[in-house]
Amino acid sequence: MRGIIVALVAGAAAVGAAPLALAHAFLDHASPAVGSSVPASPPVVTLWFTQDLEPAFSGVTVTNEAGQRVDLGNVQIPPGSPAELQIGLKPLPPGTYLVSWHVVSVDTHPTEGTFTFEVGRG
Amino acid sequence: MEGFLIAVRTLHFTAAITLTGVFAFEGLVAGPAFRQSGSAPANAAELHSRLDWLAWASLALALVSGAAWLVAVAAGMSGKPMSVALLQGAVPVVLIRTRFGEDWVLRFALAVLLGLCLLGQRRRAGGALRWMALFLAGGMLASLAWAGHGAATPGPPGDLHLTADILHLLAAGLWLGTLPSLILLLAEARRTGDADWAAVARAATRRYSVLAVASVTVLLAGGMVNTWFLTGTVPALVGTEYGRLLLAKISLFIAMLLVAAVNLLRLTPRLADSTSRTRNIVRRTVARLQSNARIETALGLGVLAIVGALGTLPPGLHSEPGWPFPFRLDIDALTAGSQILLAVLAVAICVCGVGIAASAAAGRYRRSAFFAAGLVLCLAGGWPPLRPAIERAYPTSFYAPAEPYAAASVVRGAAVYAENCALCHGATGRGDGPAAGRLPIRPADLTEPHLFAHTPGDLFWWVGHGMDEGVMPGFAGALNPNQRWDVINFIRARAAGVLALRIGSEITAAAVPEVPDFAFKTGGTQQTLKQVLETGPVLLVLFAPPVPVERLHQLAAAGLRVVAVGLGAPSDETSEGNRAPPFVVTVSSEATSALALFRAPEDRGETELLLDRFGKIRARWTSDMPGGLASADALIADAERIDRITAATPKRAGHSH
Repeated sequence: MRGIIVALVAGAAAVGAAPLALAHAFLDHASPAVGSSVPASPPVVTLWFTQDLEPAFSGVTVTNEAGQRVDLGNVQIPPGSPAELQIGLKPLPPGTYLVSWHVVSVDTHPTEGTFTFEVGRG
Repeated sequence: MEGFLIAVRTLHFTAAITLTGVFAFEGLVAGPAFRQSGSAPANAAELHSRLDWLAWASLALALVSGAAWLVAVAAGMSGKPMSVALLQGAVPVVLIRTRFGEDWVLRFALAVLLGLCLLGQRRRAGGALRWMALFLAGGMLASLAWAGHGAATPGPPGDLHLTADILHLLAAGLWLGTLPSLILLLAEARRTGDADWAAVARAATRRYSVLAVASVTVLLAGGMVNTWFLTGTVPALVGTEYGRLLLAKISLFIAMLLVAAVNLLRLTPRLADSTSRTRNIVRRTVARLQSNARIETALGLGVLAIVGALGTLPPGLHSEPGWPFPFRLDIDALTAGSQILLAVLAVAICVCGVGIAASAAAGRYRRSAFFAAGLVLCLAGGWPPLRPAIERAYPTSFYAPAEPYAAASVVRGAAVYAENCALCHGATGRGDGPAAGRLPIRPADLTEPHLFAHTPGDLFWWVGHGMDEGVMPGFAGALNPNQRWDVINFIRARAAGVLALRIGSEITAAAVPEVPDFAFKTGGTQQTLKQVLETGPVLLVLFAPPVPVERLHQLAAAGLRVVAVGLGAPSDETSEGNRAPPFVVTVSSEATSALALFRAPEDRGETELLLDRFGKIRARWTSDMPGGLASADALIADAERIDRITAATPKRAGHSH
């Protein structure tokens, strides 16, 4: 019967509210947006995650189509935004770029992923 | 490594819970029971030494498993095998620079203090040291929440989750953790078999019942909040590894409850009953209580093993749920009256279920049958209103799209569609392609609103596996999953555009089409539509050049949130010269293609769409409508109304990665 209550609660959640808490920091959104095409070279790539991160074990790199690093290597978690990761970029010519992130959430779980964005192909 | 991590987590949880339980039992149950029954102090000392042993064993287990857990986590965080992590100094980094490490140091300190308390307690059983020990052990147990999911989530929801987690852990300590101590007490009562111990057992089990009922209530409440946060939807509960393990944990918990119910409702009253003081009955009852407690403990260890595993998995909300049933319930498809009726019946079913279990446990079988009949009646009564909600479902029905619903995906999907689907479904999607005539079943019109009655996951199944036994072929071999999601995004965007044409200037509260997300650049900063929508409803202006400057200035003066996109001509950055029109943004060609789906060529220049926070079109104006475009004040009023509607029906966040 407890199971029915749980199913009730779960069913209510499916119909109604927005459950929020998630462990394992996953990418929530990014700027430039995932898979998007931006008209001009962005100065930084910012990634927002679903959980707070451990700075000691989290990092991100950006590479171009030839596999060369195009980021400045200055990964940082902005003070006051523990779920955010930011890295500066060199000026980028038009093309497709790959962002590879590897983070550890404060709940000790590592996650990683990649996404691409395009510059200048308007 | 996974198995090792699960094992050490299980052992550590077991140790922390038992440790809290020992001191709670001594202070809340055993101590008062001895005093109440006026038993000889030698008996209390006898039990105390056994409980002392249990406390030391648990503390030792906590220290050893804690150290192993630290090494395992250091390995996991640094991505290296455990031996390497140990030698390469990842452990100090974890200790000093991570939240888990800080938490670990705190727990270690508490353990050391606890050891000192235990040493001090050796002199004399009881007193302030025991309460101090309980406080320390409870702190150790509660701090485990800091390494969990609740602590890692930002904001007020995270606080709620964390609080529920802490209460859940402490309640587990007071219920599951006190069981071993109870077993020891009952064992002593059985062993000696004298009247003194019988009185102690009587008083102790009575007090224990109160403690158990209170802790189970808190445990249940905390557990429900946690379940909500970590799975929260039925697909996540039945379709993910996490959810299924959670269901297994809940099943074991129910089994424990049933055994506990027998103890509470049948055996404890029998023991307390003053007429049954014959030695044999007392002895047998104590024996049964003890064996039941042992069963509960064994089940509880199973629960903790599952807890150990759960903590290593991503919670249900973030895995693709594989729906195991051939049907699903679309409750939204029912009338409000039916929904209320079903909710009432569901509550009644729960009440009957609890009634059946409680009556059976208490030995009242007739009453139990009464509740069972009620349960059957509720189930039978619920069937007719439920039938219309039953929909065919597939394993992928509740998958969240792997490609976000955004312009880039829609445009890629258009290309996939033209190559693979247009042959049968037609270039415009109305089921009139060149090959359509040869098929026994007419290809579906993909622009009909009925498309939205199906989840994206349903469409994913059909695109992959085909339909109607091969009349539509499956494309799993020809298209990879991302391509299939792209074409689904395109089909949905196109259907949304067709549906949008029916929307007028009156605000619709019914199901409405959604505009795909797109990135744009304005005044040097880059944003996406979704980001702007987070702040409130937005008026999306789609125009064919030239730019409707006057209209935009009119909107700007009113203080509306507007995004204006020029379709049909390449965006020209040099026009941001001296008098740059407000709100006009620069977008990629993909965005213009995707947004063109939402603008009819006959609109005589401008289409304005009022979007709610989720990108859904709530109202629409075109230049060629009678009445033309809306006044700025009317728009502001409409935007506020929309905000209030959508605030009341928040959407479930479906993340794709």
